[in-house]
Order: sequence, then C-alpha cells, then structure tokens
Amino acid sequence: MGVDLPRLVGARVARREDPRLLTGQGSYVDDHRPARMLYAAFLRSPHAHARIARVDASAALALPGVAAALTGEDIARAAKPVRAESKTPSVKTTSFPPLALGKVRHVGEAVAMVAAESRYLAEDAVERIVVEYEPLPVVRNTDQALDPASAVLHEDAGTNLLVAREFARGDVDGALAGAALVVRERFRFHRHTPVCMENRGCLADYATGNQTLTLRSSAQCPGLVRDILSDLLGMPEHQVRVIATDVGGGFGAKASLYPEEIATCVMARRLGRPVKWIGDRREDLLSTTHAWDEIVEAELGVNRDGTIVGLRAQVTADIGAYSIYPWTAAIEPVQTISFLPGPYRVPTYRGRTRGVATNKAPLGPYRGVGRPPAVFVIEGLMDRAARRLRIDPTEIRLRNFIRDEDFPYKSPSGIVWDRSSFTGSLVKAREVLDYESAREEQARARAAGRWLGIGVASYVELTGIGSAIPVSPGMPLSTGTEAATIRLDPAGKVTAVFGVASHGQGLETTLAQIVADEVGVPIEDVRVLHGDTEVSPYGTGTYASRSLVLAGGAAILAGRAIRDKMRLIAGHLLEADPADLTLVDGRYAVRGMPDRSVAVRQIARAAYSGARQLPKGLEPGLEATKFYDPYYGTASNATHVAVVEVDRGTCEVKTLRYVVVEDCGRMVNPLIVDGQVHGGVAQGIGAALLEEIVYDDHGQLLSGTLMDYVVPSACEIPMLEVHHLETPSPVTLGGFRGMGEGGTIGAPAAIANAVADALAPLGIEVAELPVSPERLFRLIGRAEGAKR
Amino acid sequence: MKPPKFEYHAPTTLDEAVAALGRYGGDAKVLAGGQSLMPLLNFRLARPAALVDLNRVASLAYIREQDGQVRFGAMTRQRTIEFSPVVAQHLPLLKEATRWVGHLPIRTRGTIGGSIAHADPSAEYPAVLAALEGEVVARGAKGDRVIRAADLFQTYLTTNLAPDEILTEVRLPAMPAGVGYALEEFARRHGDFAIVGIAAMVVREGQRCTMARLATAGAGPVPVRLRAAEEILERDGLGEAAIDAAARKATELVDPDADIHASADYRRHLAGVLTKRALTRAIGVARG
Ligand SMILES: Cc1cc2nc3c(=O)[nH]c(=O)nc-3n(C[C@H](O)[C@H](O)[C@H](O)COP(=O)(O)OP(=O)(O)OC[C@H]3O[C@@H](n4cnc5c(N)ncnc54)[C@H](O)[C@@H]3O)c2cc1C
Repeated sequence: MGVDLPRLVGARVARREDPRLLTGQGSYVDDHRPARMLYAAFLRSPHAHARIARVDASAALALPGVAAALTGEDIARAAKPVRAESKTPSVKTTSFPPLALGKVRHVGEAVAMVAAESRYLAEDAVERIVVEYEPLPVVRNTDQALDPASAVLHEDAGTNLLVAREFARGDVDGALAGAALVVRERFRFHRHTPVCMENRGCLADYATGNQTLTLRSSAQCPGLVRDILSDLLGMPEHQVRVIATDVGGGFGAKASLYPEEIATCVMARRLGRPVKWIGDRREDLLSTTHAWDEIVEAELGVNRDGTIVGLRAQVTADIGAYSIYPWTAAIEPVQTISFLPGPYRVPTYRGRTRGVATNKAPLGPYRGVGRPPAVFVIEGLMDRAARRLRIDPTEIRLRNFIRDEDFPYKSPSGIVWDRSSFTGSLVKAREVLDYESAREEQARARAAGRWLGIGVASYVELTGIGSAIPVSPGMPLSTGTEAATIRLDPAGKVTAVFGVASHGQGLETTLAQIVADEVGVPIEDVRVLHGDTEVSPYGTGTYASRSLVLAGGAAILAGRAIRDKMRLIAGHLLEADPADLTLVDGRYAVRGMPDRSVAVRQIARAAYSGARQLPKGLEPGLEATKFYDPYYGTASNATHVAVVEVDRGTCEVKTLRYVVVEDCGRMVNPLIVDGQVHGGVAQGIGAALLEEIVYDDHGQLLSGTLMDYVVPSACEIPMLEVHHLETPSPVTLGGFRGMGEGGTIGAPAAIANAVADALAPLGIEVAELPVSPERLFRLIGRAEGAKR
Repeated sequence: MKPPKFEYHAPTTLDEAVAALGRYGGDAKVLAGGQSLMPLLNFRLARPAALVDLNRVASLAYIREQDGQVRFGAMTRQRTIEFSPVVAQHLPLLKEATRWVGHLPIRTRGTIGGSIAHADPSAEYPAVLAALEGEVVARGAKGDRVIRAADLFQTYLTTNLAPDEILTEVRLPAMPAGVGYALEEFARRHGDFAIVGIAAMVVREGQRCTMARLATAGAGPVPVRLRAAEEILERDGLGEAAIDAAARKATELVDPDADIHASADYRRHLAGVLTKRALTRAIGVARG
C-alpha cells in the first residue's frame, strides 16, 4: 500500500485564523449581545482580611434598571462551594466561594454581584451596596503566615500551610558534606500576572424552555468548565454548554474555574435572562490568578571538575488566599521542586516544598508553571559553581547534561526524560552566538569600563502529558486524553472537531495541516472547529503544552481511519485491490494505470449513497472519532543565551542579543513555533526585568494598573534569534513535543545570568527577579561601597 | 471602570465655555484630550457634576509667534507640536520633549494645555515650561490673568488655576539661536511617564556659559529648577569638572518621593546621572 508522504506538516503555513481575527470578525465574549441581556458588575473587597458582618443590597436594588443583586449567601443556596481536591494527603482542601461567605481573604475578592440594564448602572448600583467589615489581622507574607501566632485564612484547614511535599533520591547530606564545592543561595522570584489582551469575561444564558445553560467564557478549558459547572449547579452535563471560540490570550491564567463564571450562571438561571460580565483591567489585575511568588533556598554540591554530586532545596510559595480549581494550591510549589534538577544528572537530591496561604489573590498556573523559578534557581547555581571553579558556564553544563546514552532518564523527582537534545541545543546556541567572539567582545567592553554580560540557560520541560501523570501534582482529575472527530461530507470537504481550544496558539492552522495530510485533502478543504462543548468530542481544553501533542495525535488516528475507509471505497468503485491504489492530487488511482482513478469527492459521495456504492458489509458514512492518550508525555528542551549591558548610570538592563535554540520534536509549522517562542520570551524578559505584582503591608495591591504593572512593549524586546533542532519524540504519535510555554521558562534565567555575568567584576549575584533598576542600583551601590 | 453620571457641555466658543464652567461653582471639569481625565473618571477618582468639552472650541488651537515668544492655544495637540516647523526652529527643546510624551495615539489626542493644567510631576511639558521660564494665560469670569511657570505649579496634580478658570494659552520664549539643549529621561518602558527627566539648556561663549537652565520631571511634587546647579556652570564654565559638580549639586537640590518603581535615593541618583548626560549633550549641540 503506497504511503502518501506528508505535505503540510513541517511547512510555514500562514495562520488561517488571522484574516478573521485581524479584520475584527473574531467571536470574543464581548462581541455577543443577545436580546434581553443584562450587564453584571461585582463589588470587590477593599480589605485583605475581614469578617463580613452584614451585606445590604437594598439601595442598589432600588435603582431603576437594576434587575437583581446576589450575595455570598444567595450563591451558597444555588451552587455547591468550589473545592479543589487533591489525592495527596499533605495537600489541604479548602473552599473557594464564588462570592465571599463570612469573610474576605484578599483585596479584590468578589463580595456581591449586580445585574442591570447597563454596565454603568451596574457599577452605580455596586457602589450602593453596604457591607460591614470587621477587619482581621492581615497575613502579608509566607514568613508571617507560618508563624504559629499568625491569623489563619481557612479555619477548617487550621493552618496556613496548605501544601507540603518532599522528593528525595540518595544520601544528599552525605554527598554535600563530601563535595569539593557547595554553592548556596536564597532565590526570590516575585509575584507576576499574565496580563491577557482580552480580560476575563463571560456571558451566561439559561433557556427555561429546555433547561439548558450556555456559558460563553474567555477560558482555555471549556470542557473542564462544563464538567465542574454541571456538578456545582446540579445540572446534567448534556444540558450545559460552554463556548470559548476566540479567546484573547490565556497563558494558563484562564485554565482555572473562576468565581465570576459560577456567579454569572447563577444570576442568569435565576433571572431567566442572559447576563454578561466583562472584567476590566483593574479587576483583572486584582483577581485573575497571579503567578510564581516563591522563595527557593538551594544548595548545589559539585566535584572539582564541576560535576554535580547533590542538590538540596526548599521551595516556599505564597499561594495567596485560595486553592484554585482544578489545579489546587500545589501546582506551583510542587512543579517547581519537581523540575528543579533540570536537564542534569543529579545523583542525590532532596527537595522540600511548601505552599502557604496569605491575603493576596490566588496563585495559579502561568506559562511555564513552576519551571521559570526552577530554571532560574538551577541555572543560577550552575553559574555560581562555574564562576567559583573558573569553568566556562557552557562547559559546566556540558559536563552535567543527561547524555544520549542515559535516555530514558529518570529524574530524582520521578519524571522520565525521553531522548532530547540537551547537549545539541547548547552546542548550537554557542555556534549561533559565536560564543568565543562574544566573550572577546565582552573582554574589550570590560576593559573600556562597560558592564556587558552573557547568560546561558538550558532547560527541559514535560509536555503533552498523558494519563499516567496528573497535570497538576495530586489532582484527582485525569486529563490524559483528547479526541478528534473528523467528518468527510458528501461534497468531499472535511470538518474536524476538537475538545482542545485555541486561545492564540494557531491550532486552527496546525491541526488543519495534520488533518489535511492524514486524510489526504488540500488544507483549503479542512475546517477546524474547537472550543465548543456542544460540537466537540469529550475533552478538557488547552493548557500544559498539550494540545498539539494530544489533539494532533487524535487527529492522526481519526484522519487515518477516514483515509483507510476511503481507500476501501475507492477500491470498490475502481474494482481494484485497495492495496494497489495510490493517492495523487486528490484522486485515488490504480498503481500504474493513472486513467483508472476516482476523485475524493466521488468517494465521499459514494460513502453516503447507500449499500450498492460500498464494499459488502461496510458501514456508510465517513466519520471517525478517535481518542489519543500519550500516557507519560514527552520532553521538550532549549538553550537560551542573552547578551545584556547594564547602564553604568541608570542601572538599566538592555538586552543586546537573544538566541534561542529549541527542540520541540517534529515541527508542524515553524512559523507558529517561532511565534510561540517570541511571545514566551517576551513574557520571560518581562518577568526578568519589568513585571512585578506589589502588595503593601495592608494587603493593598500597589500595582493595580498597567502604568504600575509594567509589561514589556515591542521596544523592550530585542530581535530574537530563534533556531530549531528537530529530535522527533520517540513516544508520541507524529513525534511532536509540546512547545507553548518554553520561551517563558528559559528567559528569566538567561537574563538573570547575563546580568550577573555583566556585574561579575563587582562580585554581584542576581538572586531576585525582576532585577529592576532599583534593585540593581542597591546591589551596585552596596558592592561599590564594599570595594571602597 | 465606567464613570458615574455627569452632565456634558460642548461649547464652540471660549466665552460659552467659561460661562458653562462658572455655572457649576467648581464642580465641573474641563475636558481637553482626555488622556488623563478619562482614566480618572473611569476609575471614579474624579466625580465632577459636569464636563465642559473644549474640543469644539476652534479658537483654542494655534501656534503663533509674537513678542519673542511662541504662543500655543491650550487645545493644540502634542502631535501638532511635534511636527510644527515653528517649534522646530524656535523651541527645539519642546520638540524633543514631545517625543517623550506617551505614544503616538496619546499625543494625537493629548494637548499642551491639558498636560500643563494636569500638572503631573513626571510630565515633560511642565519641566520644559519651568526650564524656559514660560507662562500661561488663564481666563475666568473676571477676565484673563498671566501666570508665570514658577507660580503655576503648587504640588502633585495641582496648579493655582481656579476651578472656574480655563487655561487658554501657553507662552514660551523663543530659544536663542545656537543654544544647546537636551532632554534626558529615564522610564522603565518606552512611552511611560518619567521616573526622572532633566531638561537642559545652555548658552555658551567658547567654554564660558552665559546662561544655564536645568529643570526636573519626576523628582518631587512639582518641576524643580536646579538654580544652584545652573550657577555652577554660569560661574565655572562648561568643562568636565563643572558638569560633574553641577550633576552632584542636582542630587542635593531634588527632594524626590518613592514609589514602587523607584526609591527616593535612586531618583536622586538618577537626577545626577541625567543632569550630566543632558548637559553633555546640550553642550555638544550648542554653537558659540
Ligand atoms: C498611556 C499614557 C501614557 C502617557 N505618557 C505620558 C508621558 O510620558 N508624559 C506626559 O507628559 N504625559 C503622558 N501622558 C498624558 C497625556 O499625554 C496628556 O498630556 C495629559 O493626559 C493631559 O492632556 P489632555 O489634553 O489629554 O488633558 P485631559 O486629560 O483632557 O485633562 C487633564 C486635566 O487637565 C484639565 N484641563 C485640561 N485642559 C485644561 C484647560 N485648558 N484649562 C484648565 N484645565 C484643563 C482637565 O480638567 C483635567 O483635570 C500619557 C497618557 C497615557 C494615557
């Protein structure tokens, strides 16, 4: 049987969704205004920690045009509380009420909700709701939260320590005691937030006629939201539909269930009218999940030649006020400690991690989850060791990488790495940068009194996770499968429907490429649908760099099923052995007899034209649904190299060059891979230099606007030099590896290491990110003061 | 983020605007480009009973040369200033400063009158007004009055304009030909308000300095003229040692505040660094 070679997978196909999105014809939540729709607004807590003595919405309800107001108690009567369960006994389960119940735990927490004829009116009404708060002591940070005398956020948990885990391999204490050199540091990765172009928002509509609920939400995981809403609201799943067709960015922050989604559904069901809530930027910065916010105390022991003998670390994450559904408060701290050993052979390890509740917005997943801090730490330690041993930073990495002969390699935290190009990516990055010349240039710059530095960061990430491992540690929910339904209609055109949901990744393009190749039709004949639970097969959504691996795998299986069936029908129509057919230019022909052929369109029509057109016993129709489970998942890796200069006067960091050599296995579309790397690196550079969520001692958010929470613009991001290695994954269908997050994982460490390298003559190490001009001013001032 | 209810007036003449403003006894606000006022309304930080929109008052948008000054109608857009040949010729410092004001779409709406009346301590135009010793004209019920830069700025976001007065004109003395000038600024991101900015102007005769002007943005509640630093240059000339001494003096003269982006110490340090850079560049372009 002739194998038709892939034509589109690997090609730089322009994004098919762009004409629609760029001409304003996207279908975002706020584009929808059904008849009789009401606008919602939320009253948000001005206190970080307070008991709620009384909520009185009567003055709000008295305003003409206000339809209803809801309080925490109203919601509690209409929906079950959200509880993110964990299978790990040391992870405590707490409730996250959609509207505060009894007390508020962070500034910006939703306390009450109004639905009115306009958003203006709704906001006027919200101002009239009277809430009597009795302030409680504010838990400002993890140190304070862990003090036995501290106020406790969740009384039922009895402690602010919601997460505690440990991973160990071998005798790390002995190994460090015997090491030639131990480097240690207390790393601080501050709080961040993703800042999506489209704020969160949702539109709920309850049809009283057939008791169905439709929720449009700016969400990454329509399937997951559908499942949990049906549970919380006590409605059967087939009567709940969640739609998230176009979503203006998610970056992980829209992968969780949010209070506003539940409250909006409750309001719509209560009123029998559509209700829309669009979060504004202030609400977004206050209440969309924040990220990272960790202290990592870590020690790395090495031999004289730089080879690692052991790693010991303790992570403390400030998980904020609530454990989010479904990932739980464990997601960030446990991922950080799990991935800390990086792409290295680490013979002995002990990693402890803690997740601690404080009066801040909840922590959630953000592009990279745990790994941006983990890589900052391990790569920072590698550089410290290299400096002390006078080994080149690239050399010390090459000496420690998991080698080709070590794969599959089981990491100290139990993750298995399949064949990857750790060494290859670093060697190639050196080549692209022309590393030796860059070092020479640095030497010249130093001689001229300039602070120029080169920073390297290598990492490995687990992507495309299957059913063997929960995406978030301890999570009881299995998210290891995705499905594709592919239908070839009688006209020969293909509709492919997926449970994953694109929110900017270009999945409508990449999945169409795969489908077109597998079915054997031109891409113009393929339409990809996603992000609507009513039309898609069962799936959860897009997160954790999984969609191309899982949905792509399912597309391969379903596409092949269609193609195999087409071949059988073609054989029947041509009265030939199906095995003798070849597919050329949309026609199946008998090998060696090109004039005996039949077009895809004819086969399609035959498939729907009754028994006489089909081989005996073959079921009519051309439609297949296939599920794919990659079981473990696969590794992706990269090396990032940054060249920076620190301004001697202003202490500003300028990124002069930025090189990425990444390996996501077989690339479906290099153009889209480049775009994902660009966006990820931009967010990583933002995390390294600019962005920081700041609370004051009263738990008030000081970075509550985009003037104060500084995200990089195009001017702050250098030209990125992105190069690819393609090591097909040995364990996934198609050889794909996930790559949506990588850019953000490598960049903070690369920038931090470059800044430290620039300032090495002053003996400055970078242990805190973002390394803002203010922080550098202090570090440099202290170092120069010490020298004098 | 929607404003509470307000009344809205869109007069076409200045007299109507002044009258409309007067009717609210201080409880109305003038709307110019809206680049600062609209966010304040949306955050409900400003809750005026009414807005008097100046965008239809055509007589308030002009650039005119008169009596050795360049005079700007308050509603002249920053974008117009950026590309005005009159400004390029007579007020190159203002032209340079304009490019630091936000981004293109903001300058397309934002006005010179709005920027100065708003009196953000980190804004560029107030610093230029101070450096050039300009003045503004205000019109109220009792007629016009002229306010010198030194008297205009009171504290953060506060001028001595009365609530029922409209700033109608900004007057800047034409810079002498061959003058050296520069605006140096540090912000965390392109287009942001300055953490610290320094506007500098020097008139030189060889290595001698016959006039120096230095004014700050972002280094205190109002733009600060660094007179004692200017005097060092006017006394000691434009050599490296004098520049260094002036820069050091600048750090002593400013009394900046701290915020989440920069401590007072760091801002003070920046005032010195940027003074040196601004002077060095200004001297480089000065003729004479
Ligand atoms: C993202 C962003 C970045 C910005 N960056 C900068 C920057 O880097 N530097 C900078 O200087 N500015 C910056 N701005 C501010 C902007 O450029 C305007 O200069 C400024 O907002 C005021 O001008 P306006 O015409 O928009 O005034 P408005 O916003 O309309 O008014 C501002 C205030 O002045 C009052 N007012 C306006 N005109 C008059 C008048 N004629 N008489 C009396 N009172 C009056 C109003 O009542 C109001 O209180 C930025 C703005 C934004 C949105």
